[in-house]
Amino acid sequence: MHPVPSPVDRLLKPLHRWIWADAGRRARKLLRFAETEADGGRDLARAAELTRDPVLRRLFFRHAGDEQRHADLFARRGRELLAAATADRGFEANWLAPGERGLDDLRVEDEADETLLAFLHLSEQAAAGRFAAYAEVLDADPQTRALFARILEDEAFHMTYTRKQLARLSPKKQGLRLWQARAARIWSAYLRLASAVAGVLGRLLLLVQYFLLLPPFALLAKRAARSEPVGFAPARRPMPMKSQY
Amino acid sequence: MRILGISAHYHDSAAALLIDGMPICAVQEERLSRRKNDAAFPLSAIEWCLEQGHLEPEQLDAVVFYEKPMLKFDRILTIALRGFPRTWRSFPRAMQNALGGKLWVKGIIASRLGVRSDRILFCEHHQSHAATAFLTAPVQRAAILTADGVGEWATLTLGRGDIDDDGQARIGISRELRFPHSLGMLYSTFTAYLGFPVNEGEYKVMGLAAYGRPAFEDLLWRIVRRTPDGGIALDLSYFDYHESARRGWSRKLVDALGPPRDPRDPIDLSTPEGQRCADVAASVQRVVEEILVDLARQLQRETGLPDLCLGGGVALNGVANARILRESGFSNLYVPPAPGDAGCAIGAALYADRIHFGRRHGAFPDHPYWGPVVDASELAHIAAEDGFEAHRLTEPELLPRIAEELAQGRIVGWMQGACELGPRALGNRSILAAPHDASMREHLNRSIKYREEFRPFAPAVPIELADRYFELPRGGARLARFMSGVFPVRTEWRERLAAVTHVDGTARVQTVDPSMAPRFHALLHAYGARTGIPVLLNTSFNLSGEPIVNRAVEGYSTFRRSDIDLLVAGDALVTKRRSAQTLPEVA
Repeated sequence: MHPVPSPVDRLLKPLHRWIWADAGRRARKLLRFAETEADGGRDLARAAELTRDPVLRRLFFRHAGDEQRHADLFARRGRELLAAATADRGFEANWLAPGERGLDDLRVEDEADETLLAFLHLSEQAAAGRFAAYAEVLDADPQTRALFARILEDEAFHMTYTRKQLARLSPKKQGLRLWQARAARIWSAYLRLASAVAGVLGRLLLLVQYFLLLPPFALLAKRAARSEPVGFAPARRPMPMKSQY
Repeated sequence: MRILGISAHYHDSAAALLIDGMPICAVQEERLSRRKNDAAFPLSAIEWCLEQGHLEPEQLDAVVFYEKPMLKFDRILTIALRGFPRTWRSFPRAMQNALGGKLWVKGIIASRLGVRSDRILFCEHHQSHAATAFLTAPVQRAAILTADGVGEWATLTLGRGDIDDDGQARIGISRELRFPHSLGMLYSTFTAYLGFPVNEGEYKVMGLAAYGRPAFEDLLWRIVRRTPDGGIALDLSYFDYHESARRGWSRKLVDALGPPRDPRDPIDLSTPEGQRCADVAASVQRVVEEILVDLARQLQRETGLPDLCLGGGVALNGVANARILRESGFSNLYVPPAPGDAGCAIGAALYADRIHFGRRHGAFPDHPYWGPVVDASELAHIAAEDGFEAHRLTEPELLPRIAEELAQGRIVGWMQGACELGPRALGNRSILAAPHDASMREHLNRSIKYREEFRPFAPAVPIELADRYFELPRGGARLARFMSGVFPVRTEWRERLAAVTHVDGTARVQTVDPSMAPRFHALLHAYGARTGIPVLLNTSFNLSGEPIVNRAVEGYSTFRRSDIDLLVAGDALVTKRRSAQTLPEVA
């Protein structure tokens, strides 16, 4: 399997070119990718610990090792760029140009091997496509481009083995598993978005209350604080253990 | 009487079970969930504890939570009001956190465990710390000092504990410092300023401090003012932790000290910037030590007692602990193996048993091994399945073999018996190595633990031989039982113990008592018989970003993913040599 950029990533190519043009931002993104790869490696090691299938265990350990190596490579290159760059600590556009998503918040211990493999396959495929897109816009930085090329070779292996193992474990339902995983990824993206929107709305409501309701109480609290002693205070009288106060 | 203790929701959740006053088991949620510092409601830990006690939740007489959620909410709300309108950013986040779950602990426990709500009790946070420190120590009466970031309102308490001849226990806290004035928050703020994660990176600050000079000590003393009653008051204009959810320090601190370190920038001690970081660490470490020593001295004068029990996350500062022992006037300092919030699961349960229910105190078993027991057959099975050589050895075969491998420079993953409670690996979930050569420290930091070069490793030594290699003050061997003190390595041994001697000539030594860890003690002697020095490098059995291993399969996973040469679980030994039967290539 040869990783190619997705149509969306092709469409976003000018944006990717802009994002990756700045060395400081490039450094930050690579360091962030390093963290994500290391997290992914830990998830895969956990998957290896939990599976009862020795073949999968061996492949998951290898995959975990690859992810850790990618983390090291990204971190090393990120630090090199950071040392050379004039500091750019701004916008990294992580929503539009993410790294690998690993198991996408999937709880490894709750899932069957087939489900994990389907998720991993889709995740690796998406990451490989994105990395291929990033490599295409890195003409000005051959070292980082070479780094992506090297990692893409591993990603191709990851895509292959997850697909083959899925076919081995679930020969008749592999297509269904992949569709289920796609649907679950969309659902989890929706949940992330919904909870982010709910969080913003909730914060907004609390903020309104903060400015409308709290001022008189704030005045009282500030006045009470002025009379508090500095340093030690006598210990509170112990309350009954049934009390939450 | 069956009592379950729970700590949860802030960092390092845990559960502990007491039956008729005696601990049955305790475990941190992270060891089961495999998420480091897991703060979630510890359902896995609770289920495991109940399984060990052969209990259903409805058979519990009490479930004790380690703090009082409403009192904590009172503090959060009051601080938000006091900081109005500067708290406008942190207020919504704090309210969402509290109202979204942390406030409704009683309902969560009742619904998730199915216990009657009148059986759910709440112990104040620092009372839980005090109980963990005092009721687990082998003393009848002692002074008690607890210090951490913050509980409900208290951040530091002073008091004493007594057990009378009838076994009735009493813990009396006489006075307390209250939020936002907090030694723990001071240290954590500087931990974050230096680019390390809070509640985890404090060890790094302590390790880094040895490379610096306290060049900012004067500034620190302007930030931390001593009050006439012996307490402290922080100049809050240097901090933001009480008003901001984003960061702990203010612009004024940055103006005074320079920019904070970006967590992604490595610390290079050969550069001025690296040295500045070390100097900041040394300064905050020095000030915290001075304050703790002074508070302990006050407490010793007030109580006239020879023993001090120290609890709370600040008690993990081994350098400060050693100074307290040497300089405060106390003869003994007792720090439990889990003085932080995880240990509060035990403390809260003990407090309920001894003080709320007034039951007679019985001596607490003096060891840290309360978690799941490792299964040697699990390791042997998996390793054989993966084509590695696995052997089951008797103790007379195992110990000389491991001692020989260690002497030859091999690194050993060592899993025995029950998992430790608390952040230290004390010989049951440890990575062991020869302590003689500094290159071993570099190799371990680089290829096994994947961590900063400036971080030291700890030595383990048989308790009866500790004094030969380390300068232990009176009470030092006891403090080192759970690796809670940092002491000088004797000058004549520093070169031969280079991998465990920190840059300032000290080590966070563990004294191994045969009554507590007999096989580990015997291994140290076997190693001593082979090399002439019965000291081993002992570091926690985990990789960077992961909790300490629990089951054999997790040890095996760590062994597979690192440069560990041998893995021992109980009597099973696995090496990295492949057996003749290996799996075919698959992909």
